[in-house]
Amino acid sequence: MREVAVIGVGQSVFGKFPEKAVAELGGEAVSAALSDAGISPKDVQVAYASRLYNPWCTAQDILKEVGIRHIEMVNVENTCAGGSTAFRGVWKEIADGHYDIGIAVGVESMTTSPIAGKLIPPEKSDLDGHLGMTMPGIFAMVARRQMEEYGATVEDFAHVSVKNHRHGCLNPQAQYKKEFTIEEVLDSRMICEPITLLMCCPNTDGAAAAILCSLDVARRYTTTPIRVIASTLQSGDYKEFQEDITVSPVGTRVAKMAYEMAGCGPEDIDLVEMHDAFANEEILRYEDLGLCKRGEGIALLRTGATEIGGRIPVNPSGGLLSLGHPLSASGVRAVCEVILHLRGQAGARQTPEAKVGLAQMLGGVVAGMEHGVVASIHILAR
Amino acid sequence: MADVVPVREGIFAEDAEGAKLLGNKCKSCGQLFFPKAKFCLTCFNKDMEEVVLSRRGKLYSYTIGHMPSTHFQPPYAIGFVDMPEGIRVFAPLKITEDKPFKVGMAMEVVIEELWREDDKQVIGYKFKPV
Repeated sequence: MREVAVIGVGQSVFGKFPEKAVAELGGEAVSAALSDAGISPKDVQVAYASRLYNPWCTAQDILKEVGIRHIEMVNVENTCAGGSTAFRGVWKEIADGHYDIGIAVGVESMTTSPIAGKLIPPEKSDLDGHLGMTMPGIFAMVARRQMEEYGATVEDFAHVSVKNHRHGCLNPQAQYKKEFTIEEVLDSRMICEPITLLMCCPNTDGAAAAILCSLDVARRYTTTPIRVIASTLQSGDYKEFQEDITVSPVGTRVAKMAYEMAGCGPEDIDLVEMHDAFANEEILRYEDLGLCKRGEGIALLRTGATEIGGRIPVNPSGGLLSLGHPLSASGVRAVCEVILHLRGQAGARQTPEAKVGLAQMLGGVVAGMEHGVVASIHILAR
Repeated sequence: MADVVPVREGIFAEDAEGAKLLGNKCKSCGQLFFPKAKFCLTCFNKDMEEVVLSRRGKLYSYTIGHMPSTHFQPPYAIGFVDMPEGIRVFAPLKITEDKPFKVGMAMEVVIEELWREDDKQVIGYKFKPV
């Protein structure tokens, strides 16, 4: 297997742009990634694109905007981990030696999707969905268990939202560059007790792209390539086997695999970008990723360790809560953010001396399966 | 009168003793499922038998929804109930005036109307505080 590096990253601005076509959003990200890498569109040999709504020929549609055609293009869907899946697809193509240079792009136009401003409707066969199970509903029930079992408070959940919104103020590409207080988060509209509106990620349009190549080829373009030292993607189990809803079995398994592949442990990670669709979720993932022991996520949050300037900044970009969550774009976008830090180009939100970073995504609801049925982790190093 | 239809066939019933949930069990390894599994998700055995679950369980978690779900207008409650058989059931919960939800409280299954659809009355299971 060949070593793979990332030589270019690009992102569109995130926000509500119902007037922008998917090709336009994706084209912005791809153009930015190409110019960041300093390569020509004709150097790209393979492309993976991810999109959830509506998934046809997204790669061909976007890449025509910059003059890329003819080459092998693959379109994938994997809910919130779709972008991670596209990134991993290109990684595999290059690691396996099929191609030398490829591009991964994730895009979503949430404001023009069938679920704009609505909850995701259940499939016909999804009995629990018809009986009232929703995404905020499940995370609210998880939050109740965190309060019951680990002494979490609603202020802790609000704290995550306050932290990530503060981070987002430092990110020019964030949808919401606005700080909130704990009280403002708690006083925002109740969605599912105890989850309030400002503890939920917003509906967002946006795209992100990354250019990967073999490490040998990367050295032609840059003296400081960022290496992909772990790429993992796994699926979840039947819900019957999830004893504790505050633990993601697939999220924990994929973390273990990633650390093994990278030959490092959670103590070696300098920053993390992760799926924080709901504020309380971030606290659980600290534990799934081994940033602290099981049950100590709240303590880690309260010490400020996961803030910019802390021991292990989590979601310095602002996360999904502040940056926004264009579903299939987020997986690529998380990788792009980690890379900016590893290059020392993250501006006011820079993690000092960042050498190794982790990008995680988790998502997908399928009737009868653990919630968050797909998980992916990439570990990157300079 | 409106037609009465179950939210799903064969997973609940009501007799003189009251409401009951019907799960199934693998005849080979004994693993229980609710709703019924087509085959054993542990050992892949296809030989399954119906099991009547206890009428009461303990509330594992809950939430009160303040925005509409597909069929329920707010406020509505949902939760997980741990049954003595070692199985966790997701269900709508009945909000009562005098018994606020609390993790660990005893809950009892009831069968009643869940929602109306065209000219049909859709019935199913809910749990209410004992």
